[in-house]
Amino acid sequence: MTTISTSTSAFYERSSMDIADLRARAEGMQADLSRGQRIARSSDDPVGASRLRQLQRADSMSQIDVTNAAKATTNLQLTDTALGSFADYVTRIQELTTQAANGTMTDAERAGIGAEIAQIRGNMIQLANSRDVEGGALFGGQSAGDAYAVAANGTATYTGTSAAGDLPLGDGQNVTRGLTGPEFLTFPAGGASPDLLTALKTLSDALQAGGAAAQQAAKDGLASLSQGMDQITTAQTVVGTRMAWVELTTERRTNLTEMRASEETDVGGTDIASTVAKLQETMTVLEASQASFTKLASLSLFSLLN
Amino acid sequence: MASDLLSIGRSGAQAARIALDVTAQNIANASTDGYVRRSAKLAEVSSSGGIGTIGDVSLSGVRLDSVVRNADLFRQAEVRRTGADAARADAEVAGLENVQAAVEQSNVYNSMVGFEGSLQQLVGDPTSSSLRANVIESARTMVGTFNIAASALDAVGTGLRFEATDAITQVNTLSGELARVNLRLARAADASSDQTALLDQRDSLLQQLSAFTDVSTTINSDSTVELRIGGASGPLMVQGGSAGTLGMTTASDGTITFAVSGVTASPVAASLTGGSLAGKAQALTKLAAVHAQLDTLAQSMADTVNAAQGTGITPANAAGQPLFGGGPPITAANMTLALTDGAGIATAPAGAGANSRDAGNLNALRTALSSADTVGGMDALLFDISGTVQGRSVTRDALRTIANGAKVSLQAQAGVDLDQEAVNLVRFQQAFQASGKVMQTAKDIFDTLLAIR
Repeated sequence: MTTISTSTSAFYERSSMDIADLRARAEGMQADLSRGQRIARSSDDPVGASRLRQLQRADSMSQIDVTNAAKATTNLQLTDTALGSFADYVTRIQELTTQAANGTMTDAERAGIGAEIAQIRGNMIQLANSRDVEGGALFGGQSAGDAYAVAANGTATYTGTSAAGDLPLGDGQNVTRGLTGPEFLTFPAGGASPDLLTALKTLSDALQAGGAAAQQAAKDGLASLSQGMDQITTAQTVVGTRMAWVELTTERRTNLTEMRASEETDVGGTDIASTVAKLQETMTVLEASQASFTKLASLSLFSLLN
Repeated sequence: MASDLLSIGRSGAQAARIALDVTAQNIANASTDGYVRRSAKLAEVSSSGGIGTIGDVSLSGVRLDSVVRNADLFRQAEVRRTGADAARADAEVAGLENVQAAVEQSNVYNSMVGFEGSLQQLVGDPTSSSLRANVIESARTMVGTFNIAASALDAVGTGLRFEATDAITQVNTLSGELARVNLRLARAADASSDQTALLDQRDSLLQQLSAFTDVSTTINSDSTVELRIGGASGPLMVQGGSAGTLGMTTASDGTITFAVSGVTASPVAASLTGGSLAGKAQALTKLAAVHAQLDTLAQSMADTVNAAQGTGITPANAAGQPLFGGGPPITAANMTLALTDGAGIATAPAGAGANSRDAGNLNALRTALSSADTVGGMDALLFDISGTVQGRSVTRDALRTIANGAKVSLQAQAGVDLDQEAVNLVRFQQAFQASGKVMQTAKDIFDTLLAIR
């Protein structure tokens, strides 16, 4: 007797294997669709999963950069406002000093102007000691306390650190978070006074002392004041440029975030159109094989032989 | 010698009855696992005439020659070989998937990114106590996930070894059973239904064994089987009526090796290449490598951070203390958080003074971390595992298809076809009826002779 081509159990085994395989494929596609993600476990696509991890890491770092950039912007804005106030004060002192330089002024009037200048200087020291958003000294660099210490005789000494420190903006970019006091108050070397605050103290002291020296002091003071004004406007330009830099990096970061988001979708997202089409195809084949299985399985000689 | 029509008819009816019995047995066992289709082989009974009686009619009917078992040894061996391969790949992929889940679902990678991010955030305001607390909590999360990943890996290892132990028990039971079948086979009469049942049992035992280990068989002339595991030159497991014992040795890193004792005087090491035991051994080897790599990453992370801590000062102007404890050496399992107060983080470089907002040391720490690239190492580890799982899954699917093909092809040849059996039922019923008719004819002839008066 020759061997028969197939046996009943082989038929059932083969059919159940085929149908189970089709079902598993359809279910996998359905899961992809309902999740919206192609990758459930890293082993579904190791390269894609690794890329997704790197993108998500860059994303979470980028979110921290956003916080840091906002912090830098706020601090720079505070610095800018304070510098504006400094400029206003210096303008006012320039007006007063111009009056005091006038020969028609009496000593009493000059003493009054001197007192007002001393008052304004006091305000300027207060302003120089103002705080940033984190509660540190705005112009004190990285020190914890005030930027300027005032001695009993009124002399102001800088007590902060030499640099303001950098904030990272992401991708290796940094921005200096602010200015230190000396960066805009100290005069270039070679002048009569080391810095603006000392110059103002000399001026107000001389005006209040009165006498012939007072008018000369006022005339000398005008030169120092215009130098001081130059320093402040230069500092404002620097701060403005830094703010523009932060803005530029923010824009760049936004673009990168968008690019990353679109890449994440490309790498990890389900291609709905093609998946649905494939699912439909699989379902059609599955239905056909189920129907043919039922037909074949009901074919039995036993029901025909009587 | 004369012929006897009645006894010829009787032998025909008896042969048809036996053939019907075999057919019925086939139908009854159509879906029995390991059952091989039988058929009755019939032989004519006749004798040639002797001296002086040439030309005599001496026909004596039919007899049952043997019950044929339609098994194809090659296809059976193929089913065992491909089945062992598929079982190995199955066990390996299952183990590796668990390893992947242990590392991936513990979220070590995400918590490392979180810790990195918390350090970057602290640069924005190094003296902020809330940001410092954030760093400490991120570090705590990271330590926790390292611990979880390590214990999850250990649990996977324990599970795999437990399953391997169980599989070894099964292999030993099946081998013992096979040795007993060997003994009975040696005594069973040739081609009897007893022998065919034993042969079914023998093949079924071999197939079950092949799910656990690769088997290499030699069938002797008395149908007994000699079994070696771990390839044709592997140790002898079953020979005649004696069966060996498969044993497992666990190394300190959790990997397992096998040896067979009992048949030979001293235990012989077995290098299994197929079956679920081999798959589990392979998964355990990969697991040990992943665990070692995870420990290296934990140690690198802890050492880098602790070294940087040591070079800086805290806001209280004290030297920085290690952030991570455990060990030595620090591993993923014993890693702890040594520093629980955010004030202890040394952000400022030495000499910056108390409460300094100088982030010099913090930046040095971040630079050291990015050059050590522990996070990248973690990504590489995850990629390594997932790549292995994906590659092995492809192999597994291929081996499964091959094994299924071999199985179906064996069944197509050795299995029962109900249509064929239905035809056989009709055929042998007709043969039985025809033999009955022969006996009727014999009776009629006899009656005719008796009626002569």
